[in-house]
Amino acid sequence: MDKNVMLNQMLYRMEEVFWHELSDCAPWKTEYVGIDFIQAQDVQGKNEDEVIGSCIERIKASGLVEDIDYGIGGRDILLKLRVRGCQLMLKETMLRKSGIKPYNCPVANMIRDQLIEKLGYETTYLADMAADEKSGCCALKVAIFATPDKIGAVSEWSKE
Amino acid sequence: MPILDIMTSRKSIRRYNTDPVPDDLLDRILEAARWAPTGENYQPWRFIVVRDQETRNRIGDLAKVGSGSRMTAWYCLGHMQERFAGIKDEAKRAEVLRFMYSGEVSEFAKKSPVVIAVIGSLMEGSVDVPYDLSAAIENMLLMAHSLGLGGCWVHGPVATTRDAKKFKEILGIPTGMGEYKVIAYVSIGWAAEQRKYPRPKKELQDLVYWEKFGQKERPSHG
Repeated sequence: MDKNVMLNQMLYRMEEVFWHELSDCAPWKTEYVGIDFIQAQDVQGKNEDEVIGSCIERIKASGLVEDIDYGIGGRDILLKLRVRGCQLMLKETMLRKSGIKPYNCPVANMIRDQLIEKLGYETTYLADMAADEKSGCCALKVAIFATPDKIGAVSEWSKE
Repeated sequence: MPILDIMTSRKSIRRYNTDPVPDDLLDRILEAARWAPTGENYQPWRFIVVRDQETRNRIGDLAKVGSGSRMTAWYCLGHMQERFAGIKDEAKRAEVLRFMYSGEVSEFAKKSPVVIAVIGSLMEGSVDVPYDLSAAIENMLLMAHSLGLGGCWVHGPVATTRDAKKFKEILGIPTGMGEYKVIAYVSIGWAAEQRKYPRPKKELQDLVYWEKFGQKERPSHG
């Protein structure tokens, strides 16, 4: 059996039951999924671009994804990620078929973790995840707060 | 007061005056928690009573960032505006929204005379710990209300895995994921606000099915 299919099936079952237990709270509890890999990679960087770029380089090298584009906007708290060719897309498809909107992205978790660990960011939040199995792309909106005073820096993300 | 009246008149209180909560009233609230239903009588709950201002400040800051970060994102996505569309007064709606996305909505541990952290031991073979802890919290809130005190059940500072760890560190709780689960804190104090009650609730007929899921017609019996 394809090991990647097997991995996706196992993650799907875990995320399905986690959602069943916690509903919309499930994504708040899964932010550590994936961080062990990135914490072992000695990511270096003095600013957002360097840390995010270094994370992307290592995640791509691992074979987990084919490519990741990113942009920062929304008064500097919106990190938009576009992930292509992710090896975990199958679990998102399986979740959607069982009526659950995909909610846990290890790729985003890794980048969020390194912003906190390497740059001392106050907190982050995976706000939206749109996995499109037809195009093979996943669009993510991640709120990143460098300092507490960035809480409440609102804008209309639909215009970004 | 009949118990249903206590239940229907209870509101979540987030604004308190500075009067201290006497120990004997606090003890009755904790005693009520002790008698909550618990699977297999495991009683996994532990309670950390906090009066110290500096500790409450740190909890308040954590809650503010936790709730504020999520609500800021929800506002930016347009979700918060939909949720509060029922407030017709534009200025009032804007202020309510700002109160939410700034995180101020969850900051009130700083001004609550007592904060009780509710945690559960995961190490004693206990099952379904969050459910037991939730039952204990309900008992606490009802007892507080029956004594004339206000209270609020607050999940904000422990909602995410990372924040739950920070909360544990503030209170010296072991941080291992297999040791204690932090479910919430309960704030207790003398209310400095009057909230309308009863709150709008769904009708019972919209909530109850008879014999089978979806069966709304009450069958005759006897």
